[in-house]
Amino acid sequence: MKKNTFYLIVGCTAIALVGLFWYSDVVRMPLLIEVAFIVAVAAIYLVRRRVTDLKEDERDVKITEQAVLRTMQVFWVVFCAFSIGAVMQLLRTPTFPRGFPPGPPPILPELLSPRLIGFVQLGLLCLMIFLYVGFRIYYAGIYGGWETDEE
Amino acid sequence: MGAGKQMRNKIKVFRAMHDLTQEHLAQVIGVNRQTILAIEKGKYVPSLDLAFRIARYFGVSIEEIFMYGDEEQAGLVQ
Repeated sequence: MKKNTFYLIVGCTAIALVGLFWYSDVVRMPLLIEVAFIVAVAAIYLVRRRVTDLKEDERDVKITEQAVLRTMQVFWVVFCAFSIGAVMQLLRTPTFPRGFPPGPPPILPELLSPRLIGFVQLGLLCLMIFLYVGFRIYYAGIYGGWETDEE
Repeated sequence: MGAGKQMRNKIKVFRAMHDLTQEHLAQVIGVNRQTILAIEKGKYVPSLDLAFRIARYFGVSIEEIFMYGDEEQAGLVQ
């Protein structure tokens, strides 16, 4: 299989995933897009192995490794910071009402609504993508990225 | 194994001796042309495996192509 065919398949898969995302939102079935995403990524990895003119040598692997490593180093800090905030919600247990006669139990304010968690996760996802692309460009430059030379 | 300042090589010289282009050498060795270019410019230090493949292709020992530090000036490499 040619490299361009592979990129075409990846593009079609991405469009199909966007469609499925919309559909799973319409039918209120998040599991559909979750499973579809896993299947799509697995399929892309399988198809990628059949590409004949996509040469990835040790320098490419090194660039990818470094980019992934740095992305994860930033990501785990941001993710843990967010998770610590989420744990705070667990610690907010209701207290006994004081005074006499005891009033109604206090209503705890919701620190992190599911909607907010969704937005934060969307932000984290975008952050990861931008960081990865940025680090890739950076390390490709470090390891002699786009220089042109002689023959 | 990054952009090692201490590692030098004579790939360009050997290429010229064998009248090879970067593209051709890259194809024979099994890497991208950018990798050969990056190694020649000292931006990327190849793995031992790749270094051996390059040296064997030219029919010389690794030490004749790759030099570490100031070995060349110190006369350690003949």
